[in-house]
Amino acid sequence: MSTTPFDAFDGDLPMGTKAPFFLGATLREYGPALVLFVGGILLWEGAVRLFNIEAFVLPAPSVIFESLQSQWPEISAAAGNTMFEALGGLVAGITLGVVMALSVVRFSAMRDGFMPFAIATNAIPIIALAPILNNMFPITSPVSKMAAVAIVIFFPVIINTSRGLTEVDPDELELMRSLASTPREVFTRVRIPHALPYFFSAVKIATTLSIIVAIVSEYFGGRQDTLGQYIIRKANLFVFPDAWAAILVASLVGIALYGLILAIERVSMPWHVAYQSGDAN
Amino acid sequence: MSSSPSVVEASGVGKVFGSGTAAVTALTGIDLSIAPGEFISLIGPSGCGKSTLLRLIGDLTGPTSGQLTINGKSPEEARLDRDYGIVFQKATLLDWRTVTKNVELPLEIMNQSERDGRAARMLDLVQLRDFAEHYPWQLSGGMQQRVAIARALVFEPSLLLMDEPFGALDEMTRELMQQEVLRIWGETNTTVVFVTHSIPEAVFLSTRVVVMSARPGRISSVIETTLPHPRDVETRESPEFYARVTEVREALRQGEST
Repeated sequence: MSTTPFDAFDGDLPMGTKAPFFLGATLREYGPALVLFVGGILLWEGAVRLFNIEAFVLPAPSVIFESLQSQWPEISAAAGNTMFEALGGLVAGITLGVVMALSVVRFSAMRDGFMPFAIATNAIPIIALAPILNNMFPITSPVSKMAAVAIVIFFPVIINTSRGLTEVDPDELELMRSLASTPREVFTRVRIPHALPYFFSAVKIATTLSIIVAIVSEYFGGRQDTLGQYIIRKANLFVFPDAWAAILVASLVGIALYGLILAIERVSMPWHVAYQSGDAN
Repeated sequence: MSSSPSVVEASGVGKVFGSGTAAVTALTGIDLSIAPGEFISLIGPSGCGKSTLLRLIGDLTGPTSGQLTINGKSPEEARLDRDYGIVFQKATLLDWRTVTKNVELPLEIMNQSERDGRAARMLDLVQLRDFAEHYPWQLSGGMQQRVAIARALVFEPSLLLMDEPFGALDEMTRELMQQEVLRIWGETNTTVVFVTHSIPEAVFLSTRVVVMSARPGRISSVIETTLPHPRDVETRESPEFYARVTEVREALRQGEST
C-alpha cells in the first residue's frame, strides 16, 4: 500500500522515453533547411538569367554544376589533399589542446606560465603566419599547412576543455570528498565526463576553422593539387565557374568533417545527445 | 547523556569563519550527543549555523574550537572510513550516469564487487526499480532526490546526513518524501541528522528536534517529539503533532528574542 502513492504521483512526470525515428520527424527537422536550399538555388539561377549577371561576378548554379562535372577529377584530388592537411592539423591541434588543458588544470603553475603564450600565439593572424610556416618545411610538404591548422585550433580546444574540467558543481566535489575518493577518481569520474560537452563544442569550431586555415595556407604556396591553389589559379585565369565549383567542394568537405565529429559525439556522450533531442521536443 | 556509545558527540564545538575584524562566529558552544538509531532535525533561522554544524559532522569543514567525535573517531577518520552518506538540497546526480550507475558510484569508489545486486536493492527501497536505466534529466525532482538517498545509503553508512534535501520540492512531493524517509529509516536503522527550516517537517520526522538560533549560531533548546511510530497522515492531523509544532515554534521565537 505504501508503494502506490508514488507511482500514481510521479508516474506521468518522467520524459524522454525514446521516440521512434519517423520519416515525418526527419522531414520536420530538415524540411525548412531543404526548402531554403532549393528556393535559394532557384532564386540565384533566376536572378543570374533575368539580370544577365556576368560569370566573373556570379555564375549561375547550373554553370557551376557543369564545371563541377567536367573538373571533377582535378577538384576531387585537390579536395583530398586539402582534407588530409586539415585532418592532420585537427588531430595535432586537438591532441595538443587536450594535453595542455589537462596539465593547466592539474598544475596551476602550468596555467600561469603557459596561458600568456597560448593567448599570444592565438593573437597572430594566420595570414601572417602561413608564409613563414610554408618556408619552414619543404615546399610540397603538407606539414606546414597542418602546423598552421594546429596553431589556430588548439586555442579554442584548450580554453573550452579547461573550462569544462574546472567549472564543476561544487556539490559534486563535496560528494566525492564525502566518499573519500582520490584526486584521480575525481578527475576520471567527475571532471573528464563534465568536460566532454565543452570539448566537443571546441572541436566543432575547430573543424570548420581547419578547412579555412588549410586553404588560406595553400594560397601562399605549396603543391598545386590543393583546393587553395586550384581556386587561385582559376581566379587568375578568370575561369570563375571552376573556382566556384572548388569553393562548393571545400564547403562540402567542411560539412563532411563536421558530420564525422557529430557522429563521434553521439557515440561518446549518449546521455548528452539524448538530453538535447529530448529538450528539443 | 546515555551510557551507550553515541554516533555524534560534540562538546563546546565552535566555528569561526575568517579572522581578525572580518571574523564571523558561525557556531559557538555546541554540545550535542546523538545516540544510534536517532533521527535528529536541526532547525533554525538562516544564519544559525545548522548547515555548518552538519558540514562539521561530515568533515566538509573543520571546527575552530571544541571536541567533535563521530563513532568515537575524528570526523576526518570517520569520513575516510565512509561512516556517513550525504544528501544535499540538490540531488547532485552525475548527468552522464544512469540511475543505477549513480547509485553504484560509492561502491565503485570503495572497490566493492557485487554492485548490481546492491544497487537494485536500493532502487527497490526507494521504489525506482523501473527507472534503473534512465538518465537523471529524465526524472522528476522528487525521483532524483530519491536516487540521491539510495546512493547515500547503498554502502550502509552508520550515519545519514541530509542538508535540506526536500527544500526544492513542492509541498505534496515533500510530504511523500518525508513518509518515504521515515520508512527507509525504519528499515535500515540508520542514524539521521536532518537540516530543515520547516517546523512540521522537523516534528514529523524526528525523534528529537534541535532548535538553533542565530548571531552567534547556537543550540537554544532540544525538543523530544514523543510521537508514536509508525507516523503517517493521521499523525500530521493529531493534536499531539500540533502541540509539538507549537512547542518548536515557541522555542524558535524565544531563541530569536534572546
